[in-house]
Amino acid sequence: MLAVQIKPEEEILPKISGKKLFIFVCLGCQEVYFPREDVERFINNLREEIVGKALLDYLCNREFVGEYVKGYSKQIERANVILVFSCGVGVQVVSSLLEDRVVYTGCDTLYLNGFQGLTSQEFNCNQCGECYLNYTGGICPITNCPKSLLDGACGGAKNGKCEVDPEADCAWILIYKKLEKIGKLDILKKILSPRDHSKIITESLSREEIER
Amino acid sequence: MNFSEKLKSGKFLITSEVGPPKGINIDKSLDEAELLKEKVDGFNVTDLQSSVMRLGSLAVCHLLAKRGLEPIFQIICRDRNRLALQSDLLSAYVLGIRNVLILTGDHPVLGDHPEAKPVFDLDSVSLLKVTSGLIEGKDMKGNDLDGKPDFCLGAVVNPGADPLEPQLVKMEKKIEVGARFFQTQAVYDLKKFEEFMKKAEQFGVPILGGIVILKSSGMARYMNEKVAGVSVPEKYIKMMAEAKKGERAKVGIQIGAELIRDMKDLCQGVHIMPLGWERYVPELLKASGLD
Amino acid sequence: MAEMSLIDYTKFRLKPNGEVREIFKGVNRIHILSCGKCYQKFEEENEEEYTQLLKILGKEYKKIAGYTKIDFLCNNFLSKKKILSSDLSNCDSVGVISCGLGVQFVAKLLERKPVYTLADSVPQSGNSTSEVGYHGISLEKEKCAGCNQCYLNLTGGICPITDCPKSLSNGPCGGAKNGKCEVNPELDCAWVKIYERFKKQGKKLTLESVQIRDYSKPSLELKSDLSLQNQTLRGEGFYGGLYPLEKKEETKDKKIENFPEPKTAVIFLSQHTGERAKPLVKSGDKVKVGQKIGEADGFISSPIHSSISGKVISIETRVHPVSGRKDLAIVIENDGENKFDPSIQPYNDFENLSKEDLLKIIREKGIVGLGGAMFPTHVKLSPPKRIDTLIVNGCECEPYLNSDNRMMIEYPKEIFVGIRIVQKILGVKEVLVGVEDNKPEAIKSLSNFLDKSSLVEIVSLKTKYPQGAEKTLIKRILGREVPERGLPLDVGVVVLNAGTIFAIYQAVVKGVPLLQRVITVSGENLTRSGNYWIKIGTPFKDIIECCLNKGGGERFLEEYELKMGGPMMGISQESLDSSVIKGTTGLIILRKSLVKVSEERDCIKCGRCVEVCPVQLYPLYYGFYGKKGDLEKAISYNVESCIECGCCESICSSKISLLSFIKKEKEYACSSNKA
Repeated sequence: MLAVQIKPEEEILPKISGKKLFIFVCLGCQEVYFPREDVERFINNLREEIVGKALLDYLCNREFVGEYVKGYSKQIERANVILVFSCGVGVQVVSSLLEDRVVYTGCDTLYLNGFQGLTSQEFNCNQCGECYLNYTGGICPITNCPKSLLDGACGGAKNGKCEVDPEADCAWILIYKKLEKIGKLDILKKILSPRDHSKIITESLSREEIER
Repeated sequence: MNFSEKLKSGKFLITSEVGPPKGINIDKSLDEAELLKEKVDGFNVTDLQSSVMRLGSLAVCHLLAKRGLEPIFQIICRDRNRLALQSDLLSAYVLGIRNVLILTGDHPVLGDHPEAKPVFDLDSVSLLKVTSGLIEGKDMKGNDLDGKPDFCLGAVVNPGADPLEPQLVKMEKKIEVGARFFQTQAVYDLKKFEEFMKKAEQFGVPILGGIVILKSSGMARYMNEKVAGVSVPEKYIKMMAEAKKGERAKVGIQIGAELIRDMKDLCQGVHIMPLGWERYVPELLKASGLD
Repeated sequence: MAEMSLIDYTKFRLKPNGEVREIFKGVNRIHILSCGKCYQKFEEENEEEYTQLLKILGKEYKKIAGYTKIDFLCNNFLSKKKILSSDLSNCDSVGVISCGLGVQFVAKLLERKPVYTLADSVPQSGNSTSEVGYHGISLEKEKCAGCNQCYLNLTGGICPITDCPKSLSNGPCGGAKNGKCEVNPELDCAWVKIYERFKKQGKKLTLESVQIRDYSKPSLELKSDLSLQNQTLRGEGFYGGLYPLEKKEETKDKKIENFPEPKTAVIFLSQHTGERAKPLVKSGDKVKVGQKIGEADGFISSPIHSSISGKVISIETRVHPVSGRKDLAIVIENDGENKFDPSIQPYNDFENLSKEDLLKIIREKGIVGLGGAMFPTHVKLSPPKRIDTLIVNGCECEPYLNSDNRMMIEYPKEIFVGIRIVQKILGVKEVLVGVEDNKPEAIKSLSNFLDKSSLVEIVSLKTKYPQGAEKTLIKRILGREVPERGLPLDVGVVVLNAGTIFAIYQAVVKGVPLLQRVITVSGENLTRSGNYWIKIGTPFKDIIECCLNKGGGERFLEEYELKMGGPMMGISQESLDSSVIKGTTGLIILRKSLVKVSEERDCIKCGRCVEVCPVQLYPLYYGFYGKKGDLEKAISYNVESCIECGCCESICSSKISLLSFIKKEKEYACSSNKA
């Protein structure tokens, strides 16, 4: 799961009004961020009949969900709508396992910075497929600059702060300082752009090929 | 009568295509178009078709308009975000363009600059909606425009798509948000096209069936294999295969003319996509009796 | 189990050969840091990238001054330690083989050294209009771009943002041929899939309204707020740990009551760490309350007392609640007379007893650690090293449990007397009472009795599991790090549980041996949950009969899971004939899940166990080598330091029973140490 937020009521309620519900709640990433209390409150306030509810972790794991779907098959059979509280991955897994059933999500998912290896951290990687860190003193311009500029600052920084997100430091000022510190300012002369965006699509779509 | 009025008139319409060159030598394209001036009701100008970088559609439309031809400005969502799209539509109006065909556009990996960042900030449906908004004098955030453009909006549909249902749903949606005419993917299988028309008729919007002149049997086979919704019947492939080298264009035109004649009873016009064979369009029209 | 096709989501690969060689042209002595990778089926420990690197370099490999492999390089906390302890003095630069996260982290850490990345990240999204693609903590094909405006309700649960290369949200582009995408013919057209999905549901594809994506979502502030919140929560107090649902409300306000005496008591002779006590009675003997019926066998052992008066009916083996194996127990039939053994005499002049006398009493009265481990207290209080601080552990970080909490609320005075006794024994002035901040009443109650002049301090700790583990508690309160394989006394600390302190008070002041203890009975479907004084030896069956709605019944163990202790570290019980022992902190009764998830699964290197391990271990290896039977290898990953808190198993995304592997490995380590 990534971080999730519960959808606005007016978006979910009309979809489930008067329906018999079976509810899946994912607990897998509550250690990351999951508004468990909001979800419980929402479920408790529902007027609809709830024919069953399964709480499990790692709703993104097809194998586990498969076993739950089997275990709760009778209740699921009786429901008109399967309502899922999880990130987008969990919802897709549930609906792929219950293809002939109406599956709705109660959540919007958002991506937390740096949540790729372990939990979120101060670093972020967008997996662009061609790492620029050797030219930028180990500071990533793709993720740290809102415009993902590769060839230097846009000129909009004020007191070292980014003009798009004034809380953030201008990535290119940080890069400059870093390169200055390690005596590698000459690297800045290299022209890095334009990026190869086709890498993102071609390489991640055929992973098998990359492996070899 | 301009194109918009002709649409309303119920007249059988013919549109053709002008493919901007890769470069700045535009005279040949304009001259070829001019030859068709009296025969064709509108000229689509493609917008970086097949994700290949070329001269822009906006400029060529403007030049056509200046020569008194009726351009249909094709605009796609691949290369511009919502700011640029709205702005270019306003630019088009002040440059004398009155017809716009809105498409989503091919993905850049299919073209000659596969490294490009695809934008797709909007898609065909949302851009139609936004453009309808501009016509009413509002930008997509609801801000008032100082003077409003008036466009005749068109869209595309693929009558051979399988499954067809999602295409029809989307077509309906396009109409809902302002599409006033449709041009289709190339048609070779009239039976399929007829089935499509039966379902699409209910919408009551003019549809111009797509015509692509076959250049060879190889091309036909290639399209059958690769191009969505295109199925060239075996008899045409055979005709092309049997044609002698110098006579292929003639056979292609003959097939095209046959298709156009049959389409007359099915839909409200044809859209000819010459794909480099602009010079044969007059002959095609003559052969099909539309001259 | 059918083999699942798991996608390899490895996040990086070596840069192209030419680029690698180019980097090496500019360096003389380079140290290589290589990440152990994540999100791929864990099949073997390999150093594929490094081997490949050597191959590319040819003779240039001589420039490599050192090499360190680090698992989960992006785990800043653990990796920092490892990197800083590597010898980097003889290199002029550092090369990193990892995804961008690891490289950025190393570059920041080693600010003054040039840091090179030798790898490129592997794109995950499959979609250049939504660059970020996340696959959950699983190796499935579904992905999520975290757009914060989920479309799945409109699309039959198929995501058009990640599955359509153009991210079209208003229907297909029309370019699909035979259901395949025109951009990548290996891909099914998302919109054809959506259409088919709706057909299966007997619904028609309708496009309700025109969807226009809002790219300002999620807002930068929201993202950074959540990220920050998350980082803070993770690092709070000590590294690792979890925030399980507390579930303490059920019994936290329930006063301690006396539980009815058992008709028959089953008193195990092994209720402590160390040698089993030797029986002092035989079948047919009459015993009184508090009579010693088992003698300690050696220094690390503890005597056993009868908790009731009555007749010994047998000395036989019963299923022991900790080991799950049959173990010797004295079975006593209650005569209901409640006659006390004459040895129970209050020590009125306890203030004047010597340190040695006090220790003797504590040993004689069978006092052991009541937090669950049951280590003989007299041993703990005779440390071979100088102690400067006593920590009283009132954390009770396990969910459900309230026994220590209630003790602190109801017996603060006694606890302070107990503290004084221990202070005297250890000769320490400084005493810190650590209580989690979810027990405000206990903190208040203790504070009321706090003697200002004494050096006792009550420390309120932010709740986090397993705060109550000795090592984490010491780290949290004193900032001292107990060395690997070391004990608290190595850093001058003794930690005693609040309940144990009370038992010391009882033994020294009242002369009462450890006959009963406070136990929280809680869980699901209970009519009488609560905190009870329960006699040692009370069979679990009695407690279930009394507390569970409609009693236990024959099928109890089929329907319920009974855990002795809390849900995290507690031990699942297989027999209701087992009975309360000195280490029974609670009995938790939970309905068994309808679904039993089978257990044999592959580790996918999600790294979550590493992230929650409060002892900073890499638990994935214990499961991996445990399964392979290579216990030596597990020992090389320091399994002996594991405190068995259960965080890793509880968070394991592959549901591997890590604890059972760990226990086996620890046993093996222990026996091979002895040998």
